[in-house]
Amino acid sequence: MSRRRGIWWAAAIVLAALAVASIGLGSVHIAPAAVLSALAGAGDPGTVTIVRVLRLPRVAMAILLGAGLGMSGASLQGVMRNPLAEPYLLGVSGGAAVGAVIAVLVGAPAVLVPIAAFIGAVLAVAVAFFVAHATPGGGDVRVLLMAGVIVGAFANAAIMLLLANADPAAMRGALWWMMGSVAAATWAQNGWLAFYVLAGGALLVAWAREIDILTLGEDAAASLGLDADRASRRVYLMASLVAAATVAAAGLVGFVGLVVPHIARRMGASASRAVILGSALIGAALVVGSDLIARTALPPAELPLGAVTAVIGVPFFLIQLRRLR
Amino acid sequence: MIAFQGVSVRYADAPRDAAHDVTFTTERGRMTALVGPNGSGKSTLVRALLGRQKLTAGRITIDGAPLASLARAQVARRIAVVTQREELSFPTPVSDYVALGRFPHRGAWRSAGAEDRAAVARAVELSGIGPLLERSVDTLSGGEWQRARIARALAQGGEAMVLDEPTTYLDIAHEMEAFELLSRLVREGMAVLLVSHQLNLVARFADMLVLLHDGRVAASGIPDDVMRGAVLERVYGWPLVVTRDPAVGAPALVPLRGAPRRDSTLNPSSHIP
Amino acid sequence: MAAPAWRRRRPGVADILPRAMDVRLRLQLVYALPLIIILACAPNDARGVRAHGAVIDVDAFGDTLRGPAQPPQRIVSLNPTTTEIVFAIGAGARLVGRSHWDSFPDSARLVPDLGPALGPNIETVIAAHPDLVLLYASADDERAATRLHDAGIPVAALRIDRIEGFRTATRDIGALLGDSARAANVVDSVTRTLDRVRAATHDLPRPTVAMVTWQHPVIVIGGGSFINELIEVAGGHNVYADLASPSPTVSLEDLVRRDPDFLLASPKGRVNLERDPRWQAVRAVREHHVLVIDTTIVGRPSPVMGQAAASLAGLLHPGIQP
Repeated sequence: MSRRRGIWWAAAIVLAALAVASIGLGSVHIAPAAVLSALAGAGDPGTVTIVRVLRLPRVAMAILLGAGLGMSGASLQGVMRNPLAEPYLLGVSGGAAVGAVIAVLVGAPAVLVPIAAFIGAVLAVAVAFFVAHATPGGGDVRVLLMAGVIVGAFANAAIMLLLANADPAAMRGALWWMMGSVAAATWAQNGWLAFYVLAGGALLVAWAREIDILTLGEDAAASLGLDADRASRRVYLMASLVAAATVAAAGLVGFVGLVVPHIARRMGASASRAVILGSALIGAALVVGSDLIARTALPPAELPLGAVTAVIGVPFFLIQLRRLR
Repeated sequence: MIAFQGVSVRYADAPRDAAHDVTFTTERGRMTALVGPNGSGKSTLVRALLGRQKLTAGRITIDGAPLASLARAQVARRIAVVTQREELSFPTPVSDYVALGRFPHRGAWRSAGAEDRAAVARAVELSGIGPLLERSVDTLSGGEWQRARIARALAQGGEAMVLDEPTTYLDIAHEMEAFELLSRLVREGMAVLLVSHQLNLVARFADMLVLLHDGRVAASGIPDDVMRGAVLERVYGWPLVVTRDPAVGAPALVPLRGAPRRDSTLNPSSHIP
Repeated sequence: MAAPAWRRRRPGVADILPRAMDVRLRLQLVYALPLIIILACAPNDARGVRAHGAVIDVDAFGDTLRGPAQPPQRIVSLNPTTTEIVFAIGAGARLVGRSHWDSFPDSARLVPDLGPALGPNIETVIAAHPDLVLLYASADDERAATRLHDAGIPVAALRIDRIEGFRTATRDIGALLGDSARAANVVDSVTRTLDRVRAATHDLPRPTVAMVTWQHPVIVIGGGSFINELIEVAGGHNVYADLASPSPTVSLEDLVRRDPDFLLASPKGRVNLERDPRWQAVRAVREHHVLVIDTTIVGRPSPVMGQAAASLAGLLHPGIQP
């Protein structure tokens, strides 16, 4: 990130501005002074709750979510040597969705839905790995990709079966979850999301140099003394784990992990460490901004966050696709 | 320095060994060339040296120490390998790319020290890529990219370098440049093992040739001993003659026109002593 | 019933519930999952009308409903509300099939369960040898309607969102069943009860309310729903009456801003709301003003609407005698 330091400071300032705007803006108009005193816990109890219980955890979750998805996507793109790789690739989204849908359909309390989603995501990644490694040439990235795609397809089929006879209200809840939202953020959720994003992100950053080596290909990695299979496997797993934690906390928020690493590279990051850290920053800004749009664009309704990130992300993605040709 | 001792490799479900009982040694200050037709087992041996392919028999040693007993990073600090193919998925500045060669010394954690910087600077100077450092690898020409890769291998600072067909896509000038660079490294005491299809060039530059055929060593020794028409014709399955290049005095292979004939009625090619 | 209004709006997946989804949410669904492709609309081609007799009405799919030559004796009703209406008219014994979701009145459970209401299994329906099928008017039932028509079975696709829609549907069903008189009685009875509740609460102060049907996302009853009408009849004012959708998704902050005096919720819903710290931002939750509705009567645009209004009035105005 040393190349163009200024641009990263600018990105950090944008993130900070978006975060401040998100705390200040919402359906309920609160004067800036009242926001400040509410942050300190003073003033009308309703206002304090809006600022401290509704908005603050929400902004925090958006930051963690964006950072996690950005780092996960950047790491996976590097280790898979594929600019189209993204965090949900190894069946994370499908598995998490199945877990969450089951939880919603059986009427589990809202707090259990993320846990079910997390278990589903981890199981899906485990199955994808197991399938890939039971196949001849299982170390191959492409086999792993295929395994992830197949697990995802199976999960989709399972969701269809589950929803085929579902109570419509529960179905609506399940679908809402699948479209992603940080509306229900709580500090408890943020706590464990922060654990996965910070710890997982730190490991990914620590492994960044190995990811650099892995982008050269497996033979070249071996020539530099790196066990490519082992190194890439742990990056897959950690990146998927971080993605699983974000999915459990906020549902499926597409395109962030796919698009953000490309923006980081356009901003001058080239070494994996810079791309991962830059993606954390830009991912956070993108999700905080998207959530601000999601909850203020169409009052009194709230748009699904995943829809907003997709609307923003797809044009970026198409531009990137043109560059690849 | 690197010794292959009775090395055999068989891929899963393959009817025969990809390499069978291969024995040869590379030395410091020598350029050894591994030659042979496609599928003769050259790349298999490089993969075995990288630890990417298990041996079914025999062993590879580095200065007498079995490869299997050495940590990968240890090996990488002593032997740099320029593999046949390497595709960067993302644009990277050449300077960052060359610095990756220090990975075996730095590992995942340590940041670059004076020693690392000196090794990179020397590699840049030797390979003459100084003017390219600020460019992105995806803007390099084939020749520039190959030099950058050799520079990365040089930055590893080992005593041996293995190159798998390093000049395949290069034009004459770049190819000669690469060979001159390698012979300079050899003169400075490095052991170079070169996998190549360019028989005539390696016959001029290499100190020793190892000719592989169907995974076995068909001939090995100094170029004059290996560059014999009868052997090469059998190995490559194409009529040819070996002459001595009038300009440089090295043995030179000339493939003949016409259908290949595998029987031995073909006119024995002349070998000029 | 205003047929053009029906035709303007294409029904969607969650229409099985009386509170139907709004267009925006349906778009979100399409975005979310390939399975929604199942909901792709069937071609609305011309179908032969096989029932004979006088024109009664035009159903939600634009088919003309005609009086039968003979009153149908084997009725399949794949819609909780129409099933309840058929029972109220006194024709429950003629039902030979219902959907999985039809559980009112209690005796409806004795009618064979033919499965889903949306995208019904045509073979199962035909195997019941019906001489009239009542369908829920949603896009995925349109195909079913076509195929049943093709099999020579009279079909009526009905959609009931508002109290007036209930009246029209009940009269239509009465005419189709050859018992318009009893249908009129049912309509009159409901209308009289609603009038009585309205009169009893008319002069009382009107508390503002919001009925919360889902916690995350926050789904409330909007102006497009019959429940909105029932709340007004019961002497309350729905803070979301201005939204056209029957069950809009709103943000929690918006609910805080609209600041209703009372929330209406199911028993389980109240427990969840009061347990969630985020909902403490809502004054009604802080002040323990979450009223628990009787979910066995509030929630269906059926002949129990009168009772539902009375029950809501009792919650909003304790002690009144409607």
